[in-house]
Amino acid sequence: MGRIFPFGFESHLSFYLAVYVLTLVMHVFLMSYVLAGSLWLAWATLFPGGGLIPRAKQPLAAILRDWMPFALSGAITAGVAPLLFVQILYRHQFYTANLILGWRWMVVIPVLVTAFYLLYVVKSRTVSHWSVPARLGLSVSIASCFLFVAFCWTANHLLGLNPTTWPEAYRSGNTVRSSVALMLRLVMWVAGTFPALSILASWQLRGAETCAVPSTTAGGESDRTTLIRLEHRRLGTVSIAGLTLAFACATGYWTTLEPSVQTQLVGSIGLPWLLMVVASGLFQVIVWLLQLQRPCICSRWLSAITIVMVMMLIGTASLREIVRLSQADLDQLAASTRAAAAVGGFELFIVFTMLNAVLIFWCIRMVRSAVHRR
Amino acid sequence: MHEIYPVNDYGPLMPGLVMAAVAIVHVFLAQFAVGGGILLCYFQWLAMTSRSESARIFVHGYFKVLVLISFVLGALTGVGIWFTSIQISAPTIGLMVFNFHWIWATEWTFFCLEVVAGYCFYRYHTQLSDRTCLTLLILYAFAAWMSLFWINGILSWQLTPGNWLTTHAIADGFFNPGFWPSLLFRTIVCMTLASLIGCVVVNIIPHLSREQRSELIHKSAHLMLPMLAMPLLGFWFLFSMPADSRGWVLGGSPAMMLFFMISVGASLAIGGYAFVGLWLQRLYVNGATASLLLLLAFGATAGGEFVREGSRKPYTIRQVLYSNGIRPEEVAELRVRGCVSKDPFPIIHEKQLPNETVAVGARVFRRQCAVCHTMEGSNAVAHLTASWDTNQMRMNIAKLQHTKPFMPPFAGTARELESLVQYIHWVHMKRQHPWPDKTDSKVIQQIQVWLDEAGTEPADASENQFVALDPSSVTPAIPAVEGSEE
Repeated sequence: MGRIFPFGFESHLSFYLAVYVLTLVMHVFLMSYVLAGSLWLAWATLFPGGGLIPRAKQPLAAILRDWMPFALSGAITAGVAPLLFVQILYRHQFYTANLILGWRWMVVIPVLVTAFYLLYVVKSRTVSHWSVPARLGLSVSIASCFLFVAFCWTANHLLGLNPTTWPEAYRSGNTVRSSVALMLRLVMWVAGTFPALSILASWQLRGAETCAVPSTTAGGESDRTTLIRLEHRRLGTVSIAGLTLAFACATGYWTTLEPSVQTQLVGSIGLPWLLMVVASGLFQVIVWLLQLQRPCICSRWLSAITIVMVMMLIGTASLREIVRLSQADLDQLAASTRAAAAVGGFELFIVFTMLNAVLIFWCIRMVRSAVHRR
Repeated sequence: MHEIYPVNDYGPLMPGLVMAAVAIVHVFLAQFAVGGGILLCYFQWLAMTSRSESARIFVHGYFKVLVLISFVLGALTGVGIWFTSIQISAPTIGLMVFNFHWIWATEWTFFCLEVVAGYCFYRYHTQLSDRTCLTLLILYAFAAWMSLFWINGILSWQLTPGNWLTTHAIADGFFNPGFWPSLLFRTIVCMTLASLIGCVVVNIIPHLSREQRSELIHKSAHLMLPMLAMPLLGFWFLFSMPADSRGWVLGGSPAMMLFFMISVGASLAIGGYAFVGLWLQRLYVNGATASLLLLLAFGATAGGEFVREGSRKPYTIRQVLYSNGIRPEEVAELRVRGCVSKDPFPIIHEKQLPNETVAVGARVFRRQCAVCHTMEGSNAVAHLTASWDTNQMRMNIAKLQHTKPFMPPFAGTARELESLVQYIHWVHMKRQHPWPDKTDSKVIQQIQVWLDEAGTEPADASENQFVALDPSSVTPAIPAVEGSEE
């Protein structure tokens, strides 16, 4: 492990690690929208506009309610690929953690089904006639479902990292070795979802702003633009808070890691990623601080911050794998990925990935142009 | 692939039942999604070409149902099937993923297309031209059917790996002998399910006149017409199966034959009603009848899936992996080394067991039996062996693949087998405490003789009937173990 991740391993292992990290980032981006979005909705129901924005005029909450079912569908679909590659890379750890957690792991599926349907309920028009406690109960239920799923994934991941604890965890049913590490890691990931939400939602708000501006003269629409910009600034504040909390928890989580793991993270394999994550976080904080002073949503800055966010997610996912690899049998991993690469089918995947990417692009373009024409 | 995984106890439910429940629901919903795409394309075309006035209303109503049921439950039960497979047989799903991960990744790219095309239509169809709507629906249907295409190759490989066994080439594994009959058969099932759900949806959509409903139902029934080819495809599929598996389905295993007949009977009832009632007599189908037909289709799907899973016995992947996650080539080694010597996971309620021998027996049970059996719940070993005396149990388990040809050979030492027998016998005797912990060396020697006689190979394909052997007719009497009923 002398070179930057994912290099420095046998080529097949490096390749599968890279594919895993890239597909995981796609999932995490969409998952962040869903998890942070559900928390935002719960907050917005409890404190509509912090007293500033009337409940009926919350552009971001409306956008979230409208798009979250699709985002969840996208997050689940995007999650299939990393779920596939984790079985190639860490089959034994992943399966054993699944099995030891047992029904506590399986319950993730009905919880997600419940959350999915509740998202459609919250999207329906009838909900706006519900009382505040009922709507609050609904949005808190949705957020709780996603937090529970996040908790299960964290517990599963941490359990997979510690093979020595498996027999006792299986016997006793107590699957959490260190609740401090679990909570720090969980809060780090949950807080880290807010910067991603802020970016995706800012793009959506910008789209809404573009639609609202030409109608300003019609009267009343300028209020909407003001509200959109106010929501955008709130997103910036939330993003900065999320980044700060995530970094604080990451620092705390660092202290729970074995010294050998810490050495890897600051060694040549991990240090570039660590620096990139820190730099990306700082860059985002600075950009959001600047954005808070601006009257409108600037697409150039938004593009830059999006790219930096993707880099940050890649860096975080890479650090996550370095932690896992520093506790894994690398020879066995190299052997299993070499064998996996030999079974064939990669060319087929490439051909159909390109074909389907073109078709997806075509779908979106077709719909965009049709909607714009109208 | 020789890792040992922990095994969970699902109480009276055997793990296979948990798997079956999730799998049947998922298959039903996934096939609805595939057929639904085809049906929607057809109705969109009917609307565009003015062949049906009400088709447009139907498309909008049907897609909502598709999104709410298939996109949500279908997608999540798909992930659920992966999780459940890990719970039931981690070695099986591990081997499937290992050999076909790029096929699965390719299928994933089609999921992405399916979701994007589906949601584009769902969100914007009221703002799009007919032509754009049809294009989106065609893309959706294509992606959905292609996901069936890919997964069908992997699932049919489990039963009929064909030339893959010698070449290990991915194309040989994917285009295995069962691939085409299974794909075509499933495609027709998808269309039938979509059509039946169409009949239910027509009855739900508000503000339609009786004439409009009648027209939509008969148009929807067009997709059931390919059912006429089902018997032919069914025979093709049946004859692509290995002879012993076909034997289980056609009478060798009463349970499997029963489920097979349920599936055939339900399909015949649906096909007969569709052909005679909807085509020849142009009957109207109300919501209750449509729902009943759909329930029959669910029964047919459940029966078919049970047969597909069950007919692989004693394997989960034919000639590659036994149901208990042990590979055929491992059996000889495990007969020497033992199957629990390297199992790091303790028995959860070990303190309730009376002695070390029974505890080892519980571990052997967990490793070799617990995937398909419970001790006292469904498919219970205690019940299946209730009429056997201890010696008979020793011999029948030692020669398991000959006792019941759809069982794998026992993969452990003679001492482990005796521990298993002691464990089962202890359960038969109402879990008595204390329980003597003595094993007679002569008993172990005799078990070893039986194990050697049985060999480590699976049963001969022609031995597809139950053969309960009488130990006294084969070997001299052996001394009873203290604590047993003799």
